Amino acid sequence: MIKHLFKEISRRPLGVVCLTILGILYICTIFSQFLAPYLPTDQDLNNAYHPPTRILMVDWRPHVQVYEQVDPSAARYEPVEGATVPVSFFASGAEYRLWGVIPADIRLFQVEETHRLYLLGSDGTGRDVFSRLLYGAQVSLSIGFIGICITMTLGFIVGGVAGYFGGRVDFAAMRMVEFIIAVPSLYLLIALRGALAEYFEPEQMYLVIVIILSLIGWAGAARIIRGMALSLRQRHFVLAAEVMGQSSFKILFKHFLPNLASYLLVAATLSIPAYILAEAALSFLGLGIQEPGTSWGLMLQQAQELKVFTLNLWWLLLPGAAIFVTVITFNVLGDVLRDIVDPRQQMVKR
Amino acid sequence: MYAVLPVLEKFLLENIYKLAALPKLALITCLLLILFACKGEIPPLERKDHPLPQDAEVSESEPGLYGGILVTAESQQPRTFNPLVAEDAYSSQAIGRFLNGLTSYHPLKEEVVPELARSWEISSDHKSITMHLRRGVLWSDGEPFTAADVIFTFKALFDERYPNRYQGQYIIAGKPIGFEKLDRHTVRFTTARPYSPFLYVIGFIGILPRHKLVDAYEQGTLLQEWSVRTAMHESGELVGTGPFSVHSFRPGQRIIFEPNPHYWRVDSRGQRLPYVDYLITRFVQDRNTATVLFASGQIDAADIAPGDVVGVSRNAPLHGFTVHHRGPATGIRFLWFNQKPGVNEDGRPYVEPHKLEWFTNKYFRQAILHGFNREGLIQSVYFGRAELLHSIISPANQRWHNPEVPKYPYDPRRAIELLEEQGFEFREGGQLYDKHGNPVIFDVYASEGDDITPQIMSTFRENMRDLGIRVRVRYLDFGTLVARISRHFEYEAAMMGFTGGADPSGGRAIYLSSGRLHLWNPEQEEPQTEWEANVDELVYASEEIFDLEERVDYVHRMQEIFSEQLPLLYLLTPHAYAGLKDKWRNVRIPAMGSVIWNIDELYLDREH
Amino acid sequence: MLAFIIRRILSAVPLLFGISVLVFILMAVAPGDFLDVARSQEDIPAEYIERMEQEFALGEPWHTRYFIWVGNVVQGNLGESWIYRVPVTELLWQRIPATLVLSALSILFALCLAIPLGVLAAIYKDSIFDRISSMFAYAALSIPEFFLALLAVMFAAQTGLFPTGGLSSVEHEFMSFWGRMADYAHHLVLPTIVLGMGSVASYMRIMRANFLDYVRSDFVTTARAKGVPEGRIMFLHVLRNAINPLVSGSGFILATLLSGSILVENVMNYPGLGQLIFEALMRQDEFVVVAAVLMGCVMLMLGNLIADLLLAWSDPRIRLEKN
Repeated sequence: MIKHLFKEISRRPLGVVCLTILGILYICTIFSQFLAPYLPTDQDLNNAYHPPTRILMVDWRPHVQVYEQVDPSAARYEPVEGATVPVSFFASGAEYRLWGVIPADIRLFQVEETHRLYLLGSDGTGRDVFSRLLYGAQVSLSIGFIGICITMTLGFIVGGVAGYFGGRVDFAAMRMVEFIIAVPSLYLLIALRGALAEYFEPEQMYLVIVIILSLIGWAGAARIIRGMALSLRQRHFVLAAEVMGQSSFKILFKHFLPNLASYLLVAATLSIPAYILAEAALSFLGLGIQEPGTSWGLMLQQAQELKVFTLNLWWLLLPGAAIFVTVITFNVLGDVLRDIVDPRQQMVKR
Repeated sequence: MYAVLPVLEKFLLENIYKLAALPKLALITCLLLILFACKGEIPPLERKDHPLPQDAEVSESEPGLYGGILVTAESQQPRTFNPLVAEDAYSSQAIGRFLNGLTSYHPLKEEVVPELARSWEISSDHKSITMHLRRGVLWSDGEPFTAADVIFTFKALFDERYPNRYQGQYIIAGKPIGFEKLDRHTVRFTTARPYSPFLYVIGFIGILPRHKLVDAYEQGTLLQEWSVRTAMHESGELVGTGPFSVHSFRPGQRIIFEPNPHYWRVDSRGQRLPYVDYLITRFVQDRNTATVLFASGQIDAADIAPGDVVGVSRNAPLHGFTVHHRGPATGIRFLWFNQKPGVNEDGRPYVEPHKLEWFTNKYFRQAILHGFNREGLIQSVYFGRAELLHSIISPANQRWHNPEVPKYPYDPRRAIELLEEQGFEFREGGQLYDKHGNPVIFDVYASEGDDITPQIMSTFRENMRDLGIRVRVRYLDFGTLVARISRHFEYEAAMMGFTGGADPSGGRAIYLSSGRLHLWNPEQEEPQTEWEANVDELVYASEEIFDLEERVDYVHRMQEIFSEQLPLLYLLTPHAYAGLKDKWRNVRIPAMGSVIWNIDELYLDREH
Repeated sequence: MLAFIIRRILSAVPLLFGISVLVFILMAVAPGDFLDVARSQEDIPAEYIERMEQEFALGEPWHTRYFIWVGNVVQGNLGESWIYRVPVTELLWQRIPATLVLSALSILFALCLAIPLGVLAAIYKDSIFDRISSMFAYAALSIPEFFLALLAVMFAAQTGLFPTGGLSSVEHEFMSFWGRMADYAHHLVLPTIVLGMGSVASYMRIMRANFLDYVRSDFVTTARAKGVPEGRIMFLHVLRNAINPLVSGSGFILATLLSGSILVENVMNYPGLGQLIFEALMRQDEFVVVAAVLMGCVMLMLGNLIADLLLAWSDPRIRLEKN
């Protein structure tokens, strides 16, 4: 089925564009430690709100323009005429562990330590926005995946079981689903997060948030899957399998899952953006990922201040652009997928 | 539903090709609306000519002209208009517009000045204060103000049925202050022991109109009176002696005050104050939005954050305002270590013993502060618009602040020196270990929800890493943080701030070893250390001294002890900036308190 | 029909009880309580805090407070807000009209824009117009709502065309009746657009998809074969059927009417329920939170009920009793 999908997508230009964009984003995310010249926590208090540094070609080698601060009260920097620092590629620097295991110290590009290379400028404590954007992508781009894995699994199990067994099981499951849908999610989120916050470090808050979000989100999926399962239940191959004495468990996974797979895939693609946006909204309320962790939502929250608009610190809004591009890509891809697996558009459940 | 559909169909059939014009239509409607909503003008207020009270106070400021509307913004709305219920600054501020105390604090003179009490005498043993009330003062509904109102207010305040935050402040040496009416315009207060902040604290409570509230008082429903509901539906019930009365209140939007026609202050030409026709306070929750409102000329006064000064100032010529530099802010912000000995209910120590040993060592605390690059934070996060804090009283409070206390500038070498002197040593990987071989690691709790805190904490974490100390920062919501530090005492270090008042007596709960907010080791039965005992003595002694110079000296000595012992590691104090439109005259901006503290004296310059 | 409605309402009662219990448990689990703000102020005496603890029964376990609350509810009293010392119902009523107006307007705005756009996109499928409108829809779905609100505030401040947030201007109290209405309308433009933008996109997509669905259906082919004019087919038969899901969906919309948007209300300083509830939540003003949550649930259930009724009414194939 996957092969078929790829073939179908590759026949649609929009699909190809989306897949390419997402591919680039995810590869950057996976290799962020290698691509980012700095750690997301590396500060330089003398270079706060530094504008993006200019890259010049000197002797056919890229060099970084050197700046000096002329007015700290307005974060104004002026380029120093003629002063540049060469960029070194694949040089070794501070150590890190790739994916948390492989020790490494080589980075794609960096400059000597006394100077700083800010591709996209720096934030209030002189941290490199480009590096933080890359590290932040790890959170923002994975939060949706982990989220849908949990919601789809829970939704499939509860919805499938309810639809397959029907009767009391169905009744109980649907009341539970109703209950979860009825509880306003924001209250649940704030209360749960408040209760859990003290037991977790800021870096771990990420997991807490995904889990809370998906615990709220599975109910909707379960309801739809249950509806589909109800109709599958009447199909001949399911009845045949039952007559042949296959166990319910086997029927669920052997017959229901493949038949629901295309729905699950489309629904998953279309709900990833919801997670990314939810993370951004939570961070905006100060309830999301916390410092010194980084995510696009947190960075956007830190950049939504008035001074960004008045002091021309526009580059701080880039995480917003990153969220925008990712969400739009997922939405378009989701629609392309839906066109493929469901040309009659019966799942316009959005 | 289907009755409507045929009509809809017909309409659609006839207008199929006009559908594309719909967005255009919407746009035109919008434009029309904008034209429609051209600014309605507020008509000038018609003032009634009531006779001036016998003891009217004549303002020292330059006389002005009536008229004008002053618009301000607050981030929160008042929760109540009943001073016995009010807990938060926003309610107190709104109440202060229409109620007066007996005395008040003059932020420029930095001393207590008369308000409803015209003058006072202090007996030779300093234990009884006789207050002479202003004669001829009327409540805003025209009833006379007398000693009976004062007595009523204090009776209500100490009534068992009506718990309120002021009670504790008027219990001196374990006894409530005594109050009695001597005649229609004289009241005598007595205290169990001499108490020099008395004149300052007695002004806190707004005097209530007996004739309005006595029935509720008798029935036991005094706390239900004067809620937001009263302000919304019957604002005339909110009777006071202050410069303003409540004109109208819209929850979540704004409160409008109009001048009190019976106010007791006049200018040198005999015109009754205040000059402004209306004082409007908008409730703007988001700080950014409030600043935008000011920068676009929609409100007259606003506090400007250090980072916004440059951007906002660019609009100054356009909208005719000035951003005034007020110097350091009044609050203090600090980080501290839990020094509470002992165990909790489950028998677990509040702080692990080896950590308690570090935390109770003043050289450890000094080293930490030396290792913290606060100067860098000022340079970066605050755009250079802040200064280091060295004392428990902010430099904004010029009268009481002691500039000559021990200071701990950023000096990592000194920090390492201090740590090594105390037996700490560095091992492989640059990690710091104490003399028993424990790695130095601690957790800091901070409250989330303000944008500066994470930047401060992230810098602290990085700086400590350079010292070989691993710091884990955990952000809690404010309630959780307070519960941890004031009820469960299960934490290692935390960061917080206090707003700070004018008189040091407001900080008792922090300074005294028995205090509720003696954060590092609160509510001690007996002072645990010698220096804490010294502080206690100084605080108690200073409160019995009526000579100001001498009292200042005591408070200075107290600050020296705190800065030497460093139970609180002071961080920094941002500079305060206030934006104000240039069209207002008589503006005098104090170092502390509200920018428009003399709102009754402000008047509009006609040339603007 | 009546039996169905009664059964649905009865089945909602245990759900509401369950939710109220859950809210109380969550409030108890969440660390800290209402008095923490008072506790952190240096000049509020300890005795006062103790008195308040007793008065609000904050030292007690949650079920004690729950039973106090249930006792009140049985008497038709939802309790008093601790922050404002005003009955909860009154506090909510202060904010309901503002939220209701904004939600209704933004839904109306969304429908008015989405239906024609969706229809046009479907009729001129794959044209430039279709492409542009679908790009617009994707963009509208992809901008975080709060960010849009922020941009709107900036836009208003820069151009001065619209007020920077709020529901009425400071001169409001002194205006004539029509002046006031115009003032409200002027203030509502930006929040309506910000809040409606996301729905415009999703309604538009639904509309377009439904429309296309019916264009391909048999009865259209039949009509065409019979020589019915194209415009008549599109707008009499197709549109009517395609609009149906939106009509029956309007019951669900009811559920969202009173939910208020915390994010947009905070940024645009709109005096609606969202602001009030968020404050209550953060301060743990328990009775307000419970009342707000329950109100949301009741609206949701009513909305679902009405949606089912509308669906049954518009589509005779669906029978309620079997549901």
